[in-house]
Amino acid sequence: MKVTVLLSAGLHPVSGRPCPAAVELQAIRLAHTLGTPELTGLHAGPAADAVRDALGQGLPRLLWLETAVEDDPLAGLVAALATDRPDLILAGRQAQGADDSGLLPYALAKALGLPIIADAVAIEPAGEGAVHVVQALPRGARRRVTVRLPAVVTVHPAAPTALPFAFAAARRGTVERRAGQAALRSGAAIDERPYRKRPKLIAKAAAGASAADRLKAATESAAGGGRLLVDPAPDEAAREIIAHLRELGVLRR
Amino acid sequence: MSTMRLRRDPRTERAAHRIDGTARPRFDLAAAAETTGGRLRRNPRAEVERMLVAGTSRRRLDRSQRSVSTPLHIAAPAETAAAPRLIVIEEPAFLVAVVPDAPGGRLTPHDRQMIGAARLLAEKGGAVLALLAEPCEEIGPAGADRVLLVEASTGYDPEGRSASIAMAVDGLGVRHALFPESVDGGDIARRVAADLGEALFAGAESIAANAVTRASRGRRVEQRRAPPRLISLAADAALPYAGAPREARALQDDPMPTVPTRRAILAAEIIPADPARVPLGEAGFVVSAGNGVTDFDGFRAVAAALGATPGASRVVCDAGLMPRAAQVGASGTVLEATCYFALGIAGAPQHLQGIARCEHVVAVNTDLHAAMIERAGLAIVADAQKVMPALLAALECETETTA
Ligand SMILES: Cc1cc2nc3c(=O)[nH]c(=O)nc-3n(C[C@H](O)[C@H](O)[C@H](O)COP(=O)(O)OP(=O)(O)OC[C@H]3O[C@@H](n4cnc5c(N)ncnc54)[C@H](O)[C@@H]3O)c2cc1C
Repeated sequence: MKVTVLLSAGLHPVSGRPCPAAVELQAIRLAHTLGTPELTGLHAGPAADAVRDALGQGLPRLLWLETAVEDDPLAGLVAALATDRPDLILAGRQAQGADDSGLLPYALAKALGLPIIADAVAIEPAGEGAVHVVQALPRGARRRVTVRLPAVVTVHPAAPTALPFAFAAARRGTVERRAGQAALRSGAAIDERPYRKRPKLIAKAAAGASAADRLKAATESAAGGGRLLVDPAPDEAAREIIAHLRELGVLRR
Repeated sequence: MSTMRLRRDPRTERAAHRIDGTARPRFDLAAAAETTGGRLRRNPRAEVERMLVAGTSRRRLDRSQRSVSTPLHIAAPAETAAAPRLIVIEEPAFLVAVVPDAPGGRLTPHDRQMIGAARLLAEKGGAVLALLAEPCEEIGPAGADRVLLVEASTGYDPEGRSASIAMAVDGLGVRHALFPESVDGGDIARRVAADLGEALFAGAESIAANAVTRASRGRRVEQRRAPPRLISLAADAALPYAGAPREARALQDDPMPTVPTRRAILAAEIIPADPARVPLGEAGFVVSAGNGVTDFDGFRAVAAALGATPGASRVVCDAGLMPRAAQVGASGTVLEATCYFALGIAGAPQHLQGIARCEHVVAVNTDLHAAMIERAGLAIVADAQKVMPALLAALECETETTA
């Protein structure tokens, strides 16, 4: 099976220095769970120093499409993947250090005419020309999707952690450098400024309510205003609790 | 020489307001104040009357000046409570679409925040259009003027769903389309963006009619621009709509047609979370033990039988009776659960902080005056040590009767 992992030029979340994005290293590990695939990394950008570290974490080969800083990587990636035709294309759910919109895998899948499955935490082979992709859902639930190959799959941070870095493997790995495609980024100019953390808006009382309503809401959350049973028999208490939980819909059985 | 100034004659003015038919001279000076076109005067009594908050036994004044000039009538609040006025927009100038997740036809808090944000964008004569996968009753009170059903073909088919949403967004000339930046909502948003070949303003962290912002470059840079067409909204970035209910009129009689897709997805099944192994912060239902619990094997059995994730208070974790990862509270995990069941927990402020976002709380405690009893929706003043075996027995008995 031919698997290509898309690698972006990441920035370290703490130091801000160039490094491979963590979730893409997890994608490399997921590719290894598919037996022994023919694994290639693909990066389009002005420099490959940052992504080269991925060679030490399970990636044998990296294909680097050299483009200028202001180029849109999409066109070059589409061209390379259209000629290479991998069975499975893995990507991170979101870059970390670029535009970070998570849109590129979708645009790529659209351009290549492939299906895309998001947020994988596990990939298992499912017979000829298909894989099971286990998706992460909120609250720890999972969804197992069987998808026909070729396909694009994005990886969720809840996937198994990346393989440990091995210096010898990093030395052994090869980087193939090709000229990329020049393609200007589209879209309106966006005003940029240093990031400022914004307070989370948590609706204590409805916005626009009067002071009296806000006070009521603030004090009400402290007092549930619910039912109080004083000294019931244990059996009765148990019955009440089960009935209440069932009413809330948290008791599944 | 100048012409002579017109002079007031207070005596005749006063005489004009004389009330006839009384032996002693009496004057209606209140009417006089209104009719003479003189200086405008404040009426402090009427102002105070307008600030009075209705429906409280103690006299209270609302000085925020939000309540406008309707003087207090005792009957008025009862009328509005009986029939909240429905806001109807007949001819919207433009549409702002929202695509709620609405699992099982129920809006999530994130969906409500998104509709609140859409109301901000629709402020000047626009209407909010909800593109729903299945009918949802709460959508009108949550703030939607119009609804349109976009049904995907059966099963998990994000491709078909996003194709019909893209068709609706394009075909109806929607000015803005909002998505929640949740697992499924974010996926649909990006699919729609790819279908329309447009940029998505992903994970907006603040939103107003004139500007939206989001984090980029590893949260080092904030991007800011006028709201584009496709926006996905991060959680807790906007307040839910709190005004009078909206109409939620169906935009068309029949739902959007489904778009045929390649059906590359052969099968999909949901694997429910294993409550014993879900991280506490993600769990939906948490049972927690405090200092009032001594039988921890029994407690773990109760958690397993209820299908809940076990948690504990700090005292219990400090004593090594439960792992540190199970600690709920300010210095432990802040829960996102829908339901919290506290056994023998007093409810210290540090502990209550951890459950501030839990919607429902059930508490068992021997102390009637414990803060946890006050916080709970169902509070039981009893010995947790006796309630736990009773719970186990009741649950076992139920499984036997159903089996
Ligand atoms: C800086 C700081 C941070 C902290 N952070 C946290 C935190 O993150 N999380 C946390 O939990 N605590 C935290 N604490 C500790 C917190 O203040 C309380 O001490 C702790 O939460 C109390 O735990 P508890 O309710 O289990 O125990 P107790 O206060 O001992 O309460 C036990 C309760 O059980 C009841 N009870 C006793 N016997 C029974 C019985 N047989 N059946 C039923 N009920 C019974 C009692 O009536 C009592 O209400 C913090 C404290 C500090 C100073």
